[in-house]
Amino acid sequence: MSSNKNKKYWKNLADLNPLNNSALESLEQKEFIEEIPVDEFLGDKESLSNSSTTRRDFLKFVGFSTAAASLAACEGPVIKSIPYVVQPEEIIPGIANYYATTIGNGYDFANVLIKTREGRPIKVEKNKLAPLSASANARVQASVLDLYDSFRLAKPYKNQVESSWTEFDNDTNKKLNSLKNSSKSIVLLTQTFASPSTYKLISEFKKNYSNAKHVVYDAISESAALDAYEAKYGTRGLSNYDFSKSDLIVSIGADILGDWQGGGFDSNYAKSRIPTKGKMSRHIHFEANMSLTGANADNRYPVNQNDQKLVLLSIYTKLFKSGSDLNLSDRLNKVVDSLFNELLESKNPVVVSGIQEIEYQSLVLEINQKLNSKAFQPNKIILTRQGNDNDVESLIKDMINGKVGAIIMSGVNPVYTLPNSDSFIEGLKNTGLSVLFSMKNDETAQHVNYLAAAPHYLESWGDVEMTQGEYSITQPTIRPIFDTKQFQDLLLLWNNSSVTYHDYLKSNWEKNILNDKTWNQALHDGVFENKKSIRSRASYINSKNNFSASITSLANSITKNPENTFELNLYSKTGMGDGQCANNPWLQEFPDPITRATWDNYLTVSEADAKKLNLYLEASTFFTESKNGADGGLNGKYAIISLDGTDIKVPVMIQPGQAQGTVGLSLGYGRNRGVKEVMMTGVNGYKFFKNFKSVQSIKIIATDEIHEFACVQLHNTLMGRGDVIKETNLEIFNTKGSNVWNAAAVVSLNHEETPVSSPSVDLWDEFDRSIGHHFNLSIDLNACTGCGACVIACHAENNVPVVGKGEIRKSRDMHWLRIDRYYSSEDSFENDDLKKDNISGLGSSLSSFKEMENPAENPQVAFQPIMCQHCNHAPCETVCPVAATTHGRQGQNQMTYNRCVGTRYCANNCPYKVRRFNWFLYNENDEFDYHMNDDLGRMVLNPDVTVRSRGVMEKCSFCIQATQSVILKAKLEGREVKEGEFNDKVACAAACSSGAMKFGDINEKDSEIYRLKEDDRAYHLLDTVGTKPNVVYQVKVRNNKNS
Amino acid sequence: MASHYEAPIRRPLVRGEKSYHDVSVDIARPVEGKANKEWWIVFSLALLAFLWGIGCIVYTISTGIGVWGLNKTVGWAWDITNFVWWVGIGHAGTLISAVLLIFRQKWRMAINRSAEAMTIFSVIQAGLFPIIHMGRPWLAYWVLPIPNQFGSLWVNFNSPLLWDVFAISTYLSVSLVFWWTGLLPDFAMIRDRAVRPFQKKIYSLLSFGWSGRAKDWQRFEEVSLVLAGLATPLVLSVHTIVSFDFATSVIPGWHTTIFPPYFVAGAIFSGFAMVNTLLIIMRKVCNLEDYITVQHIELMNIVIMITGSIVGVAYITELFIAWYSGVEYEQYAFLNRATGPYAWAYWMMMSCNVFSPQFMWFKRLRTSIMFSFFISIVVNVGMWFERFVIIVTSLHRDYLPSSWTMFSPTFVEIGIFIGTIGFFFVLFLLYARTFPVIAQAEVKTILKSSGEKYKKLRDSGESLVGTGADKRTSKISIKTNK
Repeated sequence: MSSNKNKKYWKNLADLNPLNNSALESLEQKEFIEEIPVDEFLGDKESLSNSSTTRRDFLKFVGFSTAAASLAACEGPVIKSIPYVVQPEEIIPGIANYYATTIGNGYDFANVLIKTREGRPIKVEKNKLAPLSASANARVQASVLDLYDSFRLAKPYKNQVESSWTEFDNDTNKKLNSLKNSSKSIVLLTQTFASPSTYKLISEFKKNYSNAKHVVYDAISESAALDAYEAKYGTRGLSNYDFSKSDLIVSIGADILGDWQGGGFDSNYAKSRIPTKGKMSRHIHFEANMSLTGANADNRYPVNQNDQKLVLLSIYTKLFKSGSDLNLSDRLNKVVDSLFNELLESKNPVVVSGIQEIEYQSLVLEINQKLNSKAFQPNKIILTRQGNDNDVESLIKDMINGKVGAIIMSGVNPVYTLPNSDSFIEGLKNTGLSVLFSMKNDETAQHVNYLAAAPHYLESWGDVEMTQGEYSITQPTIRPIFDTKQFQDLLLLWNNSSVTYHDYLKSNWEKNILNDKTWNQALHDGVFENKKSIRSRASYINSKNNFSASITSLANSITKNPENTFELNLYSKTGMGDGQCANNPWLQEFPDPITRATWDNYLTVSEADAKKLNLYLEASTFFTESKNGADGGLNGKYAIISLDGTDIKVPVMIQPGQAQGTVGLSLGYGRNRGVKEVMMTGVNGYKFFKNFKSVQSIKIIATDEIHEFACVQLHNTLMGRGDVIKETNLEIFNTKGSNVWNAAAVVSLNHEETPVSSPSVDLWDEFDRSIGHHFNLSIDLNACTGCGACVIACHAENNVPVVGKGEIRKSRDMHWLRIDRYYSSEDSFENDDLKKDNISGLGSSLSSFKEMENPAENPQVAFQPIMCQHCNHAPCETVCPVAATTHGRQGQNQMTYNRCVGTRYCANNCPYKVRRFNWFLYNENDEFDYHMNDDLGRMVLNPDVTVRSRGVMEKCSFCIQATQSVILKAKLEGREVKEGEFNDKVACAAACSSGAMKFGDINEKDSEIYRLKEDDRAYHLLDTVGTKPNVVYQVKVRNNKNS
Repeated sequence: MASHYEAPIRRPLVRGEKSYHDVSVDIARPVEGKANKEWWIVFSLALLAFLWGIGCIVYTISTGIGVWGLNKTVGWAWDITNFVWWVGIGHAGTLISAVLLIFRQKWRMAINRSAEAMTIFSVIQAGLFPIIHMGRPWLAYWVLPIPNQFGSLWVNFNSPLLWDVFAISTYLSVSLVFWWTGLLPDFAMIRDRAVRPFQKKIYSLLSFGWSGRAKDWQRFEEVSLVLAGLATPLVLSVHTIVSFDFATSVIPGWHTTIFPPYFVAGAIFSGFAMVNTLLIIMRKVCNLEDYITVQHIELMNIVIMITGSIVGVAYITELFIAWYSGVEYEQYAFLNRATGPYAWAYWMMMSCNVFSPQFMWFKRLRTSIMFSFFISIVVNVGMWFERFVIIVTSLHRDYLPSSWTMFSPTFVEIGIFIGTIGFFFVLFLLYARTFPVIAQAEVKTILKSSGEKYKKLRDSGESLVGTGADKRTSKISIKTNK
């Protein structure tokens, strides 16, 4: 390198030959090649002093521009968004796309329409082409959030270590091949798929592996009903019931508005409940727990299962005159007598039961066959429950005995849902290959060799046959977010097939299902009906009575519950179902329609039993041991319940209407793996689901510990305020004028009674609201079952934050739409009103009101969905100092979040208490670690609705983004808004499958909403206040007879 | 200028053998002297409470209103309770200085300065709450009708909360001007006595160059009268408007036409109680027993008794009207107040506000310093509960039983309340050390008519000529009695 030392670099020719180059020399002396004209602009002192820019000004400018430049250089953190390089044809930013698809997760089956925005599925909507029985319930409405669950598996795992699909495929294939001809069996343990293509694949798999078995496992079993149906009609399925065709529904422990026999009966039930032409169905209900169904019944009898059995038996004996005296109590005897008379008088009576014993389920089929009601449709076989308890039991035995070589599970979580999960875990250890397809690293996933990351149903292909002949398709609405494969893909692989599941599905449909319709049409519709395979109803109804068991021996086999034990009735909650959606914050925060508790399950106990067991807390405000905390939060004592050595400490909720001697506990809670810690709520009721029976006999021991519930409603009775929920009974409704059962509120004007709606008693000048659109929402209290699908739909549509158990307990739930549930304090609401009216004097009012705070032992129940009433004379609007809440031209009461300074005056002044305040920042805040705190979870947010910041008030907007999009669409297309285009545009009405909520423009005089608004049953909530709401309720009509 | 004659039957308003100079010395003493240990202890405690309150406010503003105990049903509780309570306390000052001035009640002269100071300091506390109770207090200026760049956004003149903004700010500014006007000659007095240049400089600034010329005095009197005339309607309007926050609403228990007079009476009631609380301590600590006499306390006790009874009548009227209205929501609201879960608060209010002032019918009790002090505290507590009862018990059970719930405060709300008490006392203690706590210029005007020394002289038939002269400054030898 020394040669480089003297190397010289030249810049120009002169530089290369520097000799005698004076020009270069002189240039090198200068800093700048050209003269700087300093003199030119500084030399002339005169012009300098005349200049308007002084030195000070100059410095100011320099200072400002430096500051401005540096400020401009400061930028917030940049989150790069990537535009579509090649824009897909069908995606237009800002315009939603809808895809029909189907959920079939083994528990919930529904045909839905998925709303996607910019390629993200954001909401579940109604598929109007689908049958009503396949409507989305609250859990299905919430299922879109599961797609964006941060706890989802992103990759397959091998022995709890991250693995790859190549390894997974090779390993499982090799192991399965090695088992091909072994004596050990290969077991597919799956959910009920009800999927023709999957079942075809499984049968091919069974052909391929002769030692393969398929065991179907429903966590909450309907095995008894399936067995009964199979025994009678030869197919493993369930009879269908169309309650809309029935005029008398007798339910004996059947939660027909819940998940009984696959669910989906509520929409048709609700249809029959709307009084039309003076008629509506009558519903008589026997049950132990207070269920949603019981709450909707006209007459409800709280009885334990033994009595339920006796009632069913005596109906049977009376009907078939196979008379033998049954040991019924006098009271029940009377009830059954009058019930039987009604059965005979009715045209289309139907009897259903939830007793999970094959004999009783057979009885029900025989009774219904005899009654021959149109509502009983055994030919429309329900296929959404296929589980076989015996198969599962024997599988566990085989596994423990090492007879199983491989177990492949999909859609099940047996370690969580089996009461004897320890034996199952032991069995897994004795099984050479265990594979689980799961979206989470759940309880079962901990114990398997291979954990396959399964996709969400919105990322999968599939098909479902919910009832025979009614086919539907599951199609992906987004490309798989994670590296997932579905069970069917692997089945194809193991079957050595090279086609994708999509192709397989399509060819299966084209070959076996679609007759003349095209695949694309079916895919577009999501549903397809092929009635070829359905036999006529007559062929079922005319089948022989093959009920062989003796009634007497059945009656004798009813054993009294042992002393000091309680009958435990396990049930599934509306919000949580079988528990697979436990990591869904919307559902955790979904208030139970009956107890209105969130984030919990609990032992429901009647007040009398609670007092006996020392589980009752007295009401007082001073001590924390009282029924309510100082902030009002509900408290409950803990009890220890035990059955065959299984002890669980569980909080006690006093449940009006709970049959004495019985207690209730919901399944689906107490998850401890694969869910966030905050979602590990409640206790696992499956531990008591012994022998797949939902009724058990348990011991209860009280403790002194106190549990803090998070209830959104703390006061349970209506206090005789009959004008809040107006109701009447069918007889009065049919015979008297609406002024009797729906009297308009009046005020005195010059000593004359004037309706409050009259302009002469109005403080305000009325606007002309007949021009343009004017939105109204009608809520039929008869049709509303309280199912809560609208609550979740509203949550999803409007980016309503989840606030967590602690905040809910402080009465800070954010639900824009709530469903109030009231119990009567006397035996009916009517008597509550009477009691209040009969109060005279101070002493009587003190004692009466105190009594009215407590619900009756077996109360009447009423539901009332409440959201912002969009008052035309809104009390909130006048009090806001900054005019952040104002009235819209189309009748909405609007909330301008940007303008809100958060005085909460509007919420105080709202008679309906529908306004919700952002007490904290609920998004991107680690204190509220729900879906709005992670990037994945935020994908579910609706881009059309602002995510509210802390310190502002929010509330129902009548989904203004939805109505506005209708208007904008019409504008773009250069036309007027079509008649009916607004109908059910709001999320709640759109989600309501029972037809209770109807939304529309009342300036369309032919519209249904206009008719409903003018209906005799229509009333405004708290019309005496003079708020003139745009939400109308329809008076509740009960079809109860005094008995 | 008041006549020098006053009926002998009237008890002297200035006790002791006070000359004009003595008055100056007595009033200037706390300002010129050094603070004692007790002052420092009390001041430190107040400062501590104030700082704690600031901490709680900072926590609230940085985290959210959720750190308080409010909920979806009860949107206001301690915040607005405290606001109304402090505004109510702020009423006595103006009433004493303006209304009593117009009615020529001379006994006000000993107490009006401190009462007004109390007014201003408590209105400052009050003004804090409407700001910090906002979800987004940094946007509080949006409630002002100022031209803005947000489009054509304007405030909502229908909102009583907006009326509050005007009422409170007007009240604060008028009170401040009134107070300061009265302070001018007294500041000048301290300025003239000051020996240290810094002190002199400060007080000459504060006294706005008061020269003591006849023209000064004439203008002083005129301005005082004009301001008194301005302030008198304010006494009625401020709390009337505060009561509109509730009265114009639709919530049973709030929607009550009796509220304006009821609130004004309650405000005077609580204000006088607070004046009693403060002055009973101050007269002791600052050795002002000769100026703030038992007679003053007794007179205030009478006002407390009367206004307390008015408030009691209002409470009973409310109950009657609730029953008479026949509106079930209204009836239940009041039944719930008296017998519901917050009945303890209601009966606390009833016993403190209605029953306890009735003891003042007994002369022995109303002239007992200790008892007066005790009752003044009781009344303050009772009036706090009155607002709590109105706000919380009306809200927690209104129309729809499904929304009924309870309210329980957190340490933050309690901390903020304690903080405002601390802030109030920090201000008041600083005031007591730096301001002339008695309107000495005014007291001097009644010295000859109502001073004990001169009354005695007159009673004994002697001439008062020259008696006002100070022997240290005047060459006229004072004629003695003997």
